[in-house]
Amino acid sequence: MKVETRTSADVLLTCRDVSVGYEDKAILSGVDLEIVRGEIVTLLGGSGCGKSTMLRAITGLQAPLAGHIELLGQDMYALDNEARRVLLRRTGMAFQQDALFGSLTIQENVGLPLRELTKLPEPVIREMIRIKLALVGLSGFEKRYPPTLSGGQRKRAALARASILDPEIIFCDEPSAGLDPIVAAGLDETLCQFRDVLGVTIVVVTHELDSIRTISDRAVMFGGGKIMAMGSVADLEASTDEAVYNFFHRVAAERPGRAGDGVDRLHHARTA
Amino acid sequence: MPVAHTTFDRKTRTATVRVAGDVSLTTAKEFYGHMRGVARRRDVRSVVLDFEKAGRVDSSGLAVVSLAARMMERGGKAFDLVHLGETHRAALDLLPRDAVAVADETDHPGFVRRVGMSILDYQDAGAAFLALLADTGRQLLYVITRKKRLPVGALTDQIEKMGVDAVGIVGLLGLLLGTTLAFQGIVLLQRFGAGVFVADMIGISMVREFGPMMTAIILTGRTGAAIAAELGTMKVRDELDALTTMGVSPTRFLLLPRLLALSIVQPALSLMSMFLGIGGGMIIAALVLHLPPDLFWDRIVARITFGDFLHGMGKSLIFAWIIGFTGSHLGMRASANSTSVGAATTRTVVVSVFFIIVVDAVAATISTIGAHP
Repeated sequence: MKVETRTSADVLLTCRDVSVGYEDKAILSGVDLEIVRGEIVTLLGGSGCGKSTMLRAITGLQAPLAGHIELLGQDMYALDNEARRVLLRRTGMAFQQDALFGSLTIQENVGLPLRELTKLPEPVIREMIRIKLALVGLSGFEKRYPPTLSGGQRKRAALARASILDPEIIFCDEPSAGLDPIVAAGLDETLCQFRDVLGVTIVVVTHELDSIRTISDRAVMFGGGKIMAMGSVADLEASTDEAVYNFFHRVAAERPGRAGDGVDRLHHARTA
Repeated sequence: MPVAHTTFDRKTRTATVRVAGDVSLTTAKEFYGHMRGVARRRDVRSVVLDFEKAGRVDSSGLAVVSLAARMMERGGKAFDLVHLGETHRAALDLLPRDAVAVADETDHPGFVRRVGMSILDYQDAGAAFLALLADTGRQLLYVITRKKRLPVGALTDQIEKMGVDAVGIVGLLGLLLGTTLAFQGIVLLQRFGAGVFVADMIGISMVREFGPMMTAIILTGRTGAAIAAELGTMKVRDELDALTTMGVSPTRFLLLPRLLALSIVQPALSLMSMFLGIGGGMIIAALVLHLPPDLFWDRIVARITFGDFLHGMGKSLIFAWIIGFTGSHLGMRASANSTSVGAATTRTVVVSVFFIIVVDAVAATISTIGAHP
């Protein structure tokens, strides 16, 4: 899905010179990013590069150390808590650990935002849950509890809950982490369906190469405390930048200590 | 502007519902009410849903269309959708075709079935508890005969957590209990000129009853609940299963150190509580009755027998086992969801306190009847 022209209404998320991190230590800084309606953008990078922290910042969970984040046309961190909550109702979030409530059934979990935030009649709520669960391939699991479901099923249920209010933008943190390739591919297919049929914009944090290649309209790669590369997956794969090339071609970075060093060190110690 | 407007053709008995504007979360309730009204009309044979002027249809709109289709089917009415735009068709394609609608009613078992289910639950719990007792006995034997050993440092850790950290609260409450008993006793006994006997009363009460029982109740809330919460969380996180698959007995690794620590800590804290309670009474007697502390202590020593002391210490040991076994049993039986840990913790406190009081009452009855047959 190519986006040729952008109007301000098409831009759902804008980050301007954003720094994120913990306490005063920035993990990422100078991040400039725009996400437009109807695209799937993947945020990539190695472990600890700050992509999940960035996601926390753009979902209102952690204020950036510096810069501005505009979500759906509003400066998120300039809003008071109530206004921010209202804004975030137009978004959905699927967490890495699924974050389903263990004491509620799947249909109660998925219907929770509807029951808490709308005044829809109960039959409509149940029908919406049924439609969303069918969409993610979980028909018949309505009355099951999350701990009795597999990892992939729980992630699908989390996606159904994230999308139940028909958000304009859905954020997913490592949706395919810990899943086998077939289940992960099914989840990728569901994400593409959300984009193509419902027109939902999706931001996915991941480092699964297969997923990145399947779902990304654009990919943003973080590394070295900044955005290292941005563009289509084909562009990134063809990049001459060593770190970007290594990421896509699974080349392990050289580490200071390697297997076998220990024997050498012991040898030096004995002979010293 | 209403989200839907209906016209009725009497000749063909067809109701045409014209959808206007977006059907979304804000208008779905009104749309549902409208469609339900149409479905209930007996003069309508067929319903046409016209999307010519419809805007965006979101999931809630889809749900209403899906429900309307079912309502019309149940009422024997034909149902057609006309003037669908491309986006409407794409949205309607999301409707599940073969998914079965979820039944509205939940499964409510009848009274007899509920009684039967509770009996089976208690039977299961009883069997599991006996199995736990037997396993604890077996593991204790292995440890005593040095075939196996406790995890390094586990016993001292538990003694520190359960005992040393509880010294302050148990001591303070013991002291306050002694002072309260003294005030009550002095008011009553002074009327008969028998104020000096407050020492006997406090000594017997603290050594035989209040020392062990108050300590047990504090430890139930503090330690029993902690054991249940800790083991329950471990169960939820599959840590108990991990031990089993490693070939390590969860009873020996987790339960035995806690139970042994409680068996040491509970009598020790009870003893401290007894002395501090007597000390509190001694202070109040000295201040209110001007009873010299040495006279107070002489009466205590003369009145309390070794049997009274054994009675109190024996009970405190039994209370320790009640707390330890209840917390472990209920914690290990927590099911794999977050509320079960809270439920196990609460039940541990309630069940432990219940059995502590039952055992106390039984012991008091037996010892009284035994002393005065």
